[in-house]
Amino acid sequence: MQQRFSWPAALIALAIAAFLITFLILPVLTVVKAAFTTPQGGVTLTHFVGFFQLSLMRESFANSLYVAGMTVLLSTLIAVPLAYFTVRFHFRGGILIQTLGVLPLIMPAFVGASAMQLLFGRSGSVNLILNEWFGFTVPIMQGLNGVIFVETLHYFPFILLNVSVALANIDVAMEESAQNLGSRGWRLFRKVVFPLALPGYIAGASLVFIKVFDDLGTPLVLNVTNMLAPQAYLRVTSIGLEDPVGYVICVILVIFSIAAMSGSMWFLKGRDFSTIQRGGQSLQKRKLTRLQEVFAWSWIGLMLLIVLSPHLGVLLLSFAKVWSFSVLPDAWTLDHYGVVLRDSTRMIINTFIYCGAAALIDVVLGTAIAYIVLRTTVPGRRWLDHMATVALAMPGVVLGIGYLRAFRDVTLPWSDTPLLASGLIFILAYAIRRLPYALRSCTAALQQVHISMEEAAQTLGASRRRTIMRIVVPLMAGGIMAGFLTSFITAAVEISETILLTTRESLAPMSYGIYLYMQSIAGRGPGAALGVIAVVMVALGTYLSHRIIASRDISQRIKAA
Amino acid sequence: MSHPVRVEVRGISLSFGTTRVLRDIDVTVEPGEFFALLGPSGCGKSTLLRLIAGFNQAQSGQLLIDGEDVSAVPPWKRNVGMVFQSYALWPHMTVAQNVAFGLEERKLPRPEIDSRMRQALELVGLEGLAARRPGQLSGGQQQRVALARTLAIEPRVLLLDEPLSNLDAKLRVHMRRELLAMQRKLGITTIFVTHDQEEAMTTADRIAVMHEGVIQQVGSPVELYDQPVNRFVAEFVGTINLLPAQVSGNSAHCALGEVKLSMASLASGVTGQALLSLRPHSITIEGTPREGAADGRLWHPGQVLEREFLGKFIRYRVRAGEAELICDSAHHGGDAGHAVGSSIWVGMDPGDMGLLQN
Repeated sequence: MQQRFSWPAALIALAIAAFLITFLILPVLTVVKAAFTTPQGGVTLTHFVGFFQLSLMRESFANSLYVAGMTVLLSTLIAVPLAYFTVRFHFRGGILIQTLGVLPLIMPAFVGASAMQLLFGRSGSVNLILNEWFGFTVPIMQGLNGVIFVETLHYFPFILLNVSVALANIDVAMEESAQNLGSRGWRLFRKVVFPLALPGYIAGASLVFIKVFDDLGTPLVLNVTNMLAPQAYLRVTSIGLEDPVGYVICVILVIFSIAAMSGSMWFLKGRDFSTIQRGGQSLQKRKLTRLQEVFAWSWIGLMLLIVLSPHLGVLLLSFAKVWSFSVLPDAWTLDHYGVVLRDSTRMIINTFIYCGAAALIDVVLGTAIAYIVLRTTVPGRRWLDHMATVALAMPGVVLGIGYLRAFRDVTLPWSDTPLLASGLIFILAYAIRRLPYALRSCTAALQQVHISMEEAAQTLGASRRRTIMRIVVPLMAGGIMAGFLTSFITAAVEISETILLTTRESLAPMSYGIYLYMQSIAGRGPGAALGVIAVVMVALGTYLSHRIIASRDISQRIKAA
Repeated sequence: MSHPVRVEVRGISLSFGTTRVLRDIDVTVEPGEFFALLGPSGCGKSTLLRLIAGFNQAQSGQLLIDGEDVSAVPPWKRNVGMVFQSYALWPHMTVAQNVAFGLEERKLPRPEIDSRMRQALELVGLEGLAARRPGQLSGGQQQRVALARTLAIEPRVLLLDEPLSNLDAKLRVHMRRELLAMQRKLGITTIFVTHDQEEAMTTADRIAVMHEGVIQQVGSPVELYDQPVNRFVAEFVGTINLLPAQVSGNSAHCALGEVKLSMASLASGVTGQALLSLRPHSITIEGTPREGAADGRLWHPGQVLEREFLGKFIRYRVRAGEAELICDSAHHGGDAGHAVGSSIWVGMDPGDMGLLQN
């Protein structure tokens, strides 16, 4: 396919590049620059030396690595057996395992964290029961343990989903030929099956590591501050924007994010192990014996109970009048919802405005970038894609701090209102951060539109612009919608940037509201109520986008048949 | 419909990167002609078609439609209709919306759009399916919709990119006839890309045979079959026997002996190392010796190596002296033909033989 050079496409590409540079690259560079320059403007490494001389910082660094590493380990222990189990055995409760894989994702970790304290904390339900019956307690929510526990329950689905897909893509012939050569049992799994699924595992595990390493909301809600992201936040907000230590932390976060992402990409390169051949079959499923079935049901039931505990906890909390030092709330009420609807409607409206606008920007940019990359000859067009994708590796804390520093003197056009004191900054921050999701969705949608669909329109007299409007966008509609929903719901529960960018309560979105309520004992009820509203929103959005994607698959299949 | 137009391709060359896809193409399609671009995959025929539609741009040369150079005109302003191999029907529109699309882009008044859309659907016999979606149609129906959609805009030139390749064998023969009848009725200049020589031979007025980005020969089906200009065309268009020969004066020496050259062969100007060409059905096989027969034919003893029964005829692979020949012998009911291994005589008329430069 050979296309004429198109000036309009080139100009749009340039405008998008300018937008990405201003609101993504520039803030990050500002942070990096601040970490490496003296107040006089010279280049220096003294801030890094200073960072490592502070024992709190050394401790935070070690804690962040420990928490991220332990979360990956625990998630692996939960996810890999579950994934193997689903591909290996006939199990009538398969839907339960799928539910296990989605439920945690619709409950933002920081929302569930408070409820987890009440269920698993020192004087939470579980420990009260244990103490009463057996005379001991489990410090599962104490300090770093709490963060690890909450993050594990939230993030293990990333490993579960990736490993399940990888295992499902292994051709049964791979295993059978190993058996034919005399391998079986544990050795067969270790030497053939797991190595083939390893790329999926690495992709999932590196994602979990970064997400946990960069997370700000969960440690803050659990009141754990001796970790990197909380320290960066506290430094910048309490000591001030001139304190270099916050920027050093940001640089460390960025380095680890980029290293983990490029490391996993490097590992995955040339290891597309989806070995299923045309006409091949997935791994043979085995039957469970009666005893094994009982064991499987109880194991998965227990997992489901633990995974559902944040959801249950938040729900209970939102209806609880009094809940302390008791297994279940002592009295029930609907007041929290009343409080939320009375005091926080502004925040709910803000969330809809910010996330709606951000998601709209994302799908417009996503569609434009996908089209420019796949359908035009604009020089350097791939860089638009690369640049937008960089946002995936940028921790919210870093972007938030970058915005605070880069735009501190910027006012809105034709007014004196500072950009940072307007709702626009949330829209921009969310749009940049969630652009990669919308972009992937739009790119996938455009790849499914055969080029001849567009050429046919052109031979019939439609210009390029008319073709985009009448053919390309309508055919991409499903993917665009799914991208919009994904951007919207993930932005609605974003917390790192939100905490940093909130200057006034009247401008805050509901995620900030949940965080704020959860800070005080009295606010936990309304916080949970607001959390339930957010979770319902996210669940609805997730369900809709799955429906859209599924129905599109079906229509494709009908066409193929 | 407006008058039929001429399409002239003048000295067109096109490269993708360092790959030269079209090399100095010169061809003229006459007004109202049904013209085929024939060649194996990768020969550049589709590239040339897409270039006429405006989707590829030549590095050098000119493309004239109705005498006007359209090289710089974008696809949507060429008024050249194209039917795509995959049909490219838009799944989000009904059949009626698909067909009306080009008319809407021309901003015609709604009543005219509706009447022309209906006419186009009538033309392909699908007036009852206007409200369906493309996904609900059979392959043959989809193809008719694609054709109706293209014809509705009354294009100056109709381009067909392997239009029959997605249909099953029986439907293909049927659609071929229908397509030709429609083209004759509308008198529209039509260029048709195919890799199927039978398809090209049965439908086209003239054919351009392409190979490696070069047009090898342009001519009517009969010309291509009877007077191929080179080895590629000779072998691509039907089955042929090629015997290496040395030309001297008005005769050629080959493995079967001395052959007196026909007038046409002499006129071809081929000299020195050459190939004698002979279609399988021009060779006669007899069980009894015919040496010295005064029928003007060249007779040579041989042996049957293989035989295939093809219904209308039996195809023999025969060794005659140093040469191996393929001979088609008409089959008559009850005639068992010659067995593998049996000795036979093959007879050839020098007048049937062509001469190609080796």
